[in-house]
Amino acid sequence: MRTYEVLFILSPQVTEEEATALIAEFKRIAESTGATLKSEDAWGRRRLAYPIQKFNEGIYHLFVFESGASLAELDRRMKNSDRVLRHMIVRTDLDLKRADKLAKRNPKKERVRPAAAPVATPAAEEAPQA
Amino acid sequence: MATAPVPSPRGRGDRGSSGPGGQQGGKKKFFYRRKRVCKFCVEKIEYIDFKDIKTLQQFIPERGKILPRRISGTCALHQRKLQAAIKRARIAALLPFTAD
Repeated sequence: MRTYEVLFILSPQVTEEEATALIAEFKRIAESTGATLKSEDAWGRRRLAYPIQKFNEGIYHLFVFESGASLAELDRRMKNSDRVLRHMIVRTDLDLKRADKLAKRNPKKERVRPAAAPVATPAAEEAPQA
Repeated sequence: MATAPVPSPRGRGDRGSSGPGGQQGGKKKFFYRRKRVCKFCVEKIEYIDFKDIKTLQQFIPERGKILPRRISGTCALHQRKLQAAIKRARIAALLPFTAD
């Protein structure tokens, strides 16, 4: 199973009902190709760091999917939709797994070389944001 | 932070343990260099998320460029991850490609 993060930006001209419909539509497309939604996050209207198609803001939405296959169909549909200013699908499971491994290995390293870490912050663990 | 171009061998800055402390009582007084540590190692952040703009922004100076690790002190591994995250954030219009 792979984990994918799908972040996309809808045009600011899209009305609220239309946006929810589009979001539901994308969800449906992904689920029809065998993906399951793990979490979703509506960031809402947000200023863009630079104009895209002459818009200065956009409606951000994030999906986290778990899927056995790639999200090619969703990717294609988003690419073709003129309501989507931009979309990005990132596979995260491998990186998160590696990060977990590293997080477990680190305390050992410090014991071997205590001088290397003079900043003793015992409980400074920040959970990586999902 | 941004000290003048001290003639320093490359590996020195990123090898935590052998920082400037190791060469105390050197010959002449060079610029004092604060020991820089990799923020991600210290805070044990192993996964650098491209959506976490607050963290990324600390490595984006005014112009919008990626802060080199010779200045930020980030270790090689984390700099690589950070670089990827910043580039992703730029594509998502969360961070600027350039700013002036």
